[in-house]
Amino acid sequence: MIRKYIALLRMKYIEMLAYRLATFVWMTGAITQPLITMFVWMNIHPEESDSFVFYFMAVIFVERMTSAWDVWELDREIREGTFSNLLLRPLHPIHWAIAENIVYKWLFAVILAPVWLVGAVFWPPLRPHMTAGQAVLFLAAVVLGAALRFLLSYSCGLLAFWVTKVAAVYGVIDVISLFLSGRIAPLEMLPPALREWSEWLPFRYMISFPIEIATGAVDGGELARGFAVAAGWMAVFVAGVQWLWKAGMRKNQAVGG
Amino acid sequence: MVIRVSHLHKSFRVHRREAGWLEAARSLWRRDYRVIEAVKDVSFTIEKGEIVGFLGPNGAGKTTTMKMLAGLLHPTSGEITVGGFVPFEQKPEFKKMMSLVMGQKSQLIWDIPPMETFLVNKAIYDIDDRAFRQTLEELTELLDLAPLLDKPTRSLSLGQRMRCELAAALLHRPQVLFLDEPTIGLDVHTQENVRRFIVDYNREHETTILLTSHYMGDVAALCDRVMIINYGRLIYDGELSVLTEKLAPYKRLEVRFSRVPDMDWGEYGEVAEIEEGTVVLRVAREKAAGTAARLLERFDVRDINIEDPPLEEVITRAFQEERV
Repeated sequence: MIRKYIALLRMKYIEMLAYRLATFVWMTGAITQPLITMFVWMNIHPEESDSFVFYFMAVIFVERMTSAWDVWELDREIREGTFSNLLLRPLHPIHWAIAENIVYKWLFAVILAPVWLVGAVFWPPLRPHMTAGQAVLFLAAVVLGAALRFLLSYSCGLLAFWVTKVAAVYGVIDVISLFLSGRIAPLEMLPPALREWSEWLPFRYMISFPIEIATGAVDGGELARGFAVAAGWMAVFVAGVQWLWKAGMRKNQAVGG
Repeated sequence: MVIRVSHLHKSFRVHRREAGWLEAARSLWRRDYRVIEAVKDVSFTIEKGEIVGFLGPNGAGKTTTMKMLAGLLHPTSGEITVGGFVPFEQKPEFKKMMSLVMGQKSQLIWDIPPMETFLVNKAIYDIDDRAFRQTLEELTELLDLAPLLDKPTRSLSLGQRMRCELAAALLHRPQVLFLDEPTIGLDVHTQENVRRFIVDYNREHETTILLTSHYMGDVAALCDRVMIINYGRLIYDGELSVLTEKLAPYKRLEVRFSRVPDMDWGEYGEVAEIEEGTVVLRVAREKAAGTAARLLERFDVRDINIEDPPLEEVITRAFQEERV
């Protein structure tokens, strides 16, 4: 399995380099929304500018590290029939997607981490105040968030066996997640009822949760409960992907010829 | 036997859409479905090392059957085993013993050179270094791949890509090879090369091959046995020569004259064509030689040719029959 992953990672890396411009646009394009949102909030609450700067810079970082595009890929591959090529090979197609995620996110991390570091040297609000323990938990939460978003995106993508242009479904989920994951505003600013909801839904664990760990907004029992809820959703999504896969295979029309 | 198919059925439920704006809008809230039976009660077996041609008009069920054999589609009913495996279970061991090449679909990764796809396949199919080097060397020579391996796939011509496609499919030395229109869109010269490669490869490795094609040249060059499918039913399974005798029990006599005599040819055979200086007659097989002799004796014949009817004609006839 390790040999297979090394081969896939290598291939995806070469493929990524073939798409230099697109990769660059993905990288920078995704930064605009959090940046603008940050300026809006700084305008509304100028006295809390510093914490907004840290929060939204963290959003940019975590959002890139957990982003998932697999729904669009699967939608296209299944609709156009190129998915058959992956199915014919003796390796589950999900591994191709996982390898792709690892390669792109590794690139994002390699670019974003130094940018943050340099920024933090010149701009104090960007400096994190984390203990080593917090840092480890932060990274663990980022990995968990990436897995959750990937699995959600992949299971939506599998719906393409039933519906054409399934990315629309994901679009709706994405809008909900915009608010409940903390991308538009820190979750503590949500009305109490929504906030309560956000703690039980999976979206918080895709972006906000790691940042809450980094800022120290969550610790102790709450932290443990957060990881437990995220792990619960993880189990749900894994089961979901497995079920959809099985059912989808029966439904597969392997279009095109 | 390597491949065994019995009472295979496949039906699809498809959404029926009428043409036009209003109808398209109506289909938003009301959908009519109908069931299409793509494959009906198909049974056959294929032995190790055979090359079998799978023929039929567009939409007859060839590709659907092939996709079921390769495990991509789930049969509605019936049984398939390929090399002892049930394709739809998609066991890795099954995938390692077969390959499906689709002329219209590429397994090569589009934006990077074919060699990268080969390396990925090497890892995924667990091919060890030595076997990989040997096979690649052999395929590079047979298919003349050397100048293509490091160019991005998208910049290859169709013929070049198909050669790489075949190589990618054969790296793991499959025992069963499904070829769906492997020569589609290729020029005559490249078609010829691909055919020669398939024959040589089959002879060398005793690979079992099932092939669909629209080019009768492929079938004539490659297959002794053909299966003809029409409207989802298998209407013929047997030797190509028997099919020809059955459906076209005549020979073509092409007779060239200095000047074509103006007369009724009915006494010699059925006239297929008359052009300046040439008459083409259809004559019952057993009478062909005698008729030729009589023609030579009675007329000033410059040249005479006796040949089998073209395969296209035979196949077109077969497609019109319910059962051959």
